[in-house]
Amino acid sequence: MFSIISPNRDLPNTADELDENLAEETFDSAEEMTSEENSSEDDLAHHPRVPLKPTIISEGFEFVGTITSNGAVHIAGLVKGKITANSVLIEAEGEVDGEMMTDRLMVKGSARGDIHCKELNIGPRAVVDGIVSYQNMHIQRGGQISGTFKKN
Amino acid sequence: MAENNQQGCLFVGEGVTLKGSFDIPDIASISGCLEGEITAKQIVIEASGSVRGKVIGEMVDIRGELTEHLTATRSLIIRSTGIVNGAIHYAEIEIEKGGQFRGDIHIIDDSQGPR
Repeated sequence: MFSIISPNRDLPNTADELDENLAEETFDSAEEMTSEENSSEDDLAHHPRVPLKPTIISEGFEFVGTITSNGAVHIAGLVKGKITANSVLIEAEGEVDGEMMTDRLMVKGSARGDIHCKELNIGPRAVVDGIVSYQNMHIQRGGQISGTFKKN
Repeated sequence: MAENNQQGCLFVGEGVTLKGSFDIPDIASISGCLEGEITAKQIVIEASGSVRGKVIGEMVDIRGELTEHLTATRSLIIRSTGIVNGAIHYAEIEIEKGGQFRGDIHIIDDSQGPR
């Protein structure tokens, strides 16, 4: 990392060169820090390389296709297609039409289609319609569900 | 609540097995085993209770096990110990964490459901 070719090669110990060296050094150490942080969080989550920030489909946004994520997906817009993620949150304005495969699913909006999940939580104003397979579920009073339910 | 006025109520104690068709004007509380058809205003299946058959009630509260068919015209609560296998028709539902349900579920339209 000290192999920087400085334009002031003739004057090796200029302030410019020192600055550059320092800058590179701090950058390297910062990178090490973040990678360390990630590995400790991996241990906590028992899942390798889980992104900490959710993917967000905002209100007014329409997505058609397949979403695959190791992390969380928050949906406030409309998604038609397949979602595979560690956790999915469908906000009150959100709508999903298609297939979902996830460990944790929280529905505040509406969901239609095939749902495979471990933890299912349906909010009081949610609408869920389809074939649902779950391990654990909690349906809050007022949540509207219809279709076929299977417990894994 | 039911202990104060037991008129029109059915209580099935733990260890009791009943078979047949039952029309109960008020509360049915089931801690034992019941097989057949049961219609009541309020139905409580206690944790030790199990019902197999057709159950129709306004308010249904399930802490035990229910198999086959259930219609709840006003409210349905499946508690954390409750297990339902079969078809459900409901107007309003709540399933507590741990409550289990396998089968088909339908919402009763306000227009056609008896209130």
